[in-house]
Amino acid sequence: MLLNRTTSGSRWRTRPDGPGKVTGGLSYLTDLSLPGMLHGLVLRSPHPHAAIVSIDASKAMALPGVLAVLTYADVPGLNRFGIARPDQPVFCEDRVRYIGDAVAAVAAETPEIAVLALRAIEVAYEPLPVVDDPERALLPDSPLVHPEGNVLHRNDYRTADVAPGFAAAAHIVEETYVTPRQMHTYMETEGGLFVPEADGRLAVYSATQHGFMDRMQLARILGRPEADIRVVSSPIGGSFGGKDELNVQPYGALLALATGKPVKVHHSRWESVRAGLKRHPMKIRMKTGVDANGRLLAHEVEIVADKGPYATLGAEVLNFAVEHVIGPYRYDAVDVKSVNVYTNNGMSGEFRGFGGNQAIFALEGQMDRLADKLGMDPWAFRRLNLRKTDDAGPLGQPIAVTAGASQVWEALAESELWRSGTGRGSAGSGPGIGATGGKSAGHDGSGEEGIGLAAARVEAKTASDRGQATAGTPAPPWIRRGVGASFVMHGAGLGVGIPDPAGGRLRLAADGKIDAVFGYEEFGQGLIASLEQMLIEQFGFAAEDVRIVIGDTDVVPDSGSSTASRSTSMMWQSLRRLRGPFAGKLIAAASAALAMPADRLRVGAGGIRDADGGELLLPYAALAAATAKAPVIAETRFEFPRSPVDRVGAHFLYTYSAVAVAVEVNLLTGRVRVADQYHTVAAGPVVNPQGFLGQIEGGSGMALGFSLTEDAVMSGGHYLTENLDTYLIPTVAELGGTFEVEPIETLPEGDEYGPRGIGEVGSVGLAPAIASAVYRAVGKRVNRLPIDPALLQETDGWY
Amino acid sequence: MAMEQDEILRTPAVWHPGDAREAWRLKEAFGPAGVYVAGGTLLRTQWEAGVAEPPAHLIDLTAIAGAGEVEMDGEEAALGALVPLSVCRSHPAILARYPLLAEAARVIAAPSVRNLATIGGNVVSRVGDALPALLALSAQLVWQAGPEPHACSLADWLERERRAPTPASGVLVQIRLPVPPDDTTSNAARFFAYHKVGRREAFMPSLVTVALTGRIGADGAVEEIRVAAGGGQTVPYRLDASEAALRGQTPDGKTLAAFQACVEEEYEPKPDLFATEAYRKRAAANLAAAAVWQAARDAAAGRKG
Ligand SMILES: Cc1cc2nc3c(=O)[nH]c(=O)nc-3n(C[C@H](O)[C@H](O)[C@H](O)COP(=O)(O)OP(=O)(O)OC[C@H]3O[C@@H](n4cnc5c(N)ncnc54)[C@H](O)[C@@H]3O)c2cc1C
Repeated sequence: MLLNRTTSGSRWRTRPDGPGKVTGGLSYLTDLSLPGMLHGLVLRSPHPHAAIVSIDASKAMALPGVLAVLTYADVPGLNRFGIARPDQPVFCEDRVRYIGDAVAAVAAETPEIAVLALRAIEVAYEPLPVVDDPERALLPDSPLVHPEGNVLHRNDYRTADVAPGFAAAAHIVEETYVTPRQMHTYMETEGGLFVPEADGRLAVYSATQHGFMDRMQLARILGRPEADIRVVSSPIGGSFGGKDELNVQPYGALLALATGKPVKVHHSRWESVRAGLKRHPMKIRMKTGVDANGRLLAHEVEIVADKGPYATLGAEVLNFAVEHVIGPYRYDAVDVKSVNVYTNNGMSGEFRGFGGNQAIFALEGQMDRLADKLGMDPWAFRRLNLRKTDDAGPLGQPIAVTAGASQVWEALAESELWRSGTGRGSAGSGPGIGATGGKSAGHDGSGEEGIGLAAARVEAKTASDRGQATAGTPAPPWIRRGVGASFVMHGAGLGVGIPDPAGGRLRLAADGKIDAVFGYEEFGQGLIASLEQMLIEQFGFAAEDVRIVIGDTDVVPDSGSSTASRSTSMMWQSLRRLRGPFAGKLIAAASAALAMPADRLRVGAGGIRDADGGELLLPYAALAAATAKAPVIAETRFEFPRSPVDRVGAHFLYTYSAVAVAVEVNLLTGRVRVADQYHTVAAGPVVNPQGFLGQIEGGSGMALGFSLTEDAVMSGGHYLTENLDTYLIPTVAELGGTFEVEPIETLPEGDEYGPRGIGEVGSVGLAPAIASAVYRAVGKRVNRLPIDPALLQETDGWY
Repeated sequence: MAMEQDEILRTPAVWHPGDAREAWRLKEAFGPAGVYVAGGTLLRTQWEAGVAEPPAHLIDLTAIAGAGEVEMDGEEAALGALVPLSVCRSHPAILARYPLLAEAARVIAAPSVRNLATIGGNVVSRVGDALPALLALSAQLVWQAGPEPHACSLADWLERERRAPTPASGVLVQIRLPVPPDDTTSNAARFFAYHKVGRREAFMPSLVTVALTGRIGADGAVEEIRVAAGGGQTVPYRLDASEAALRGQTPDGKTLAAFQACVEEEYEPKPDLFATEAYRKRAAANLAAAAVWQAARDAAAGRKG
């Protein structure tokens, strides 16, 4: 059944943080200010790679209104940060490695004086050769970004020799796929307020995806105990992985402590572009062979990722890519080599999809091309090679068993969009490029045009905004429609070898509210709404009974990070563990207060109710008063479920998804318009229908940008797209097509893991589906994103 | 240092002249330190990008009497330079007489920007996306560049600017458009098309802009045709040779191909990081030819129906 407002009935709820967000009434942490606060700014390197000869801050310090100018000499603790490997300097000592590298920071009475102070800091640099191409960076004569070499991480995975498979193959497809440096483009740029408290503690109001990780790292930098630092981190105006690592926090914290005054730091968009993380650009070469029946014999992969200057979670992202270039298919032999290479380009790091987006674009591209060579329907070809329900995971590891793979395969095959004509390898219902006698420049013309090439003239359903196709009338001949599809198997959780704690707390507060206390963050994904809905549906509380407490290290337990599609899944498991104990304690306390047997009572909306008649017997406020001496509280701690193997990063829980998309290619301009989308997602029960839909739609919007418009272009280590007038994210004009989501909620009997993550999967499958649809529309293969319209432009054949 | 600090910490003085002559006088007095500001939208992007520093004096043109008005009579329309793009996009008389201009305004920036941005600012920028439409409509410009206003054709002004850009000292007061002849009683079919190609579908800088107006006669031949193209940092201009190649011809496959080739040859766009010259040329030629193809088809259908 499709998921939408109508089919969700009463489960479709207005999200609690929605009104504040859409009216602008909600204050984010970067909206905070305090009387007398200072303004902090960071001096960043003008060079992608240079030696620092000297830093002289005396003139800046002498300016009236400047209260602090800090450099590496002023860092009391570790002058480094980074979640996995602390290798990024808070302040560079003798070398800058990218144009976001920090050299100094100032705090001043006004933002204007702070700008002046930055200009007054005198830094002498000696430029060094810039390493801006990861492949060249691997050559023996390349300049080094780090003395240890230019390789952050290699990860190889091999099941058997691939040579015999290629020798026996009836068809081999070899292709290189290139993906862009995508930017998270959260609406709220990095920032925060840093407040020295009267008791000597430091309060940090700044976004992160894991408050306790920030607290630990700040303690290490400041050389103070963690207990002296409070991190308040929600609400957040978007993150998508981009605020996972520290960004402004070290500077705000150091400046606040140095001056003893509150300091506000808030990146301009340009500074956010310059210093912030991006998706790792990857070049993925694949060689895949099949036998004449379509069975996959050999799959050889080489991944080269552009790391930029420091580690971030670059090793983990690469591991994820290795797992996902193998994905949901069975092969006789697999041989994957991968490397993440240091460069002086922008900083790559965590980003929704975590290496899966790049990997699956390549892998699904191979599947489409192989199916064509075989003359098979591309969807049927996938089925032939899909892992069976009880099969191991991509790295041969045991995984939680579900029928997700075959369920989404079938759902897509039955979907109206896929069947809408062009999907099943049926001959085109209209003339394709070949049929109209046009040339297909750029296409390798390997004789596959006939197969499933269905470039129908569009009977447009909606008027395109250019008036190219108006309702009811046939689209002009230069608009070509095609439908494509892709398959996604996406792992959740941090994987084997990385601490992955989870947990939470329920408590009846003194004012009678049920506090649900978790260490997760709300960055727009709808975590608060989902938690509220689970509390209502699983416990029977009313919305007014509960209060959600998150994002404050002084009050929440460490529930692990809000990353890797894990939070909702972990909240669900926490509540399942807490349900018995917490409800039991409430009822026991009520039983004592009311002098009634426990089996006559139940937990309900507003308070404890009569188990049979349902009358309200004891409101929660009264129960709270009765338990003031020994408050009712229940807490749980556990680990994200993981596969029992010794392969770092291997996943245990997977979400499966299949995506169909219709595109319209305009041959005059070569531009691609995404018309209609269908996403089926097997991720267990839908916890929050609106949130589920929002995640798939929102993820798909990011994937659309990844496919068609987004690329943070660099040259010689400098960004050429400095702001949102050249770095183009999709607008409502791009996102206007029909959008169907079909969740598959069934899990095998006895499954104890409940809802799987859906925070990332929506951002993965659209790109390969678009590439496939473009091929079906115009017969040209896309191997590089974002799609270059020049590739699809035709000078004749369209009238 | 102290000097620089003062520079940074001060905000520009803003002047509000009540007529164009006074505005021009202020500009004469301040020289390069004085800058006209209309909607301020383009200026702000220049300050933000660091390609220009905020000046010492801003000469605000919004108080100039009559500069925000749209006037029409039987012979021409006069658009005040301060008319916002949102008005160009939705004014009933502009929609009725100059749908080409309304269409161009529709695809510039986004609603909030169009409320501030003026048609005059778009023209004076020399690369505004409204320019190809105004060229195809044979616009005249009225300037206050001395004690008395004077008029010149948009095409001539842009041509001079294309060859040798000069820092403007005058105030653009008005844009005048001739009224299209009323041929509702004849069998001829008027057509127009405006296309903006960018790297996404809305709210983006242009790579290519093309505007066409013309008339297909009762015999199916192209009786009248005006084509202009611009986009990106290309100063737009009329494609005279391409127009000549089509004028008087019946737009069959062969003539259209010749016209398309001619546009591709005649249009010389500036490439940038995001699109090559070849891509832009092909896009302009394709869009122009497709527009004529569509017009011929519609005209034929009209004659039948
Ligand atoms: C987010 C954004 C998106 C944009 N998108 C587009 C787009 O898609 N297409 C496009 O064409 N432009 C775009 N622009 C640029 C700009 O908004 C338009 O060109 C607009 O029409 C400029 O008008 P303005 O009144 O704001 O000009 P201003 O910024 O006030 O002035 C622009 C220039 O013209 C001068 N000037 C203004 N009026 C006069 C006058 N009457 N006489 C003499 N000189 C004058 C000023 O001194 C200045 O040099 C965009 C701008 C922004 C901020």
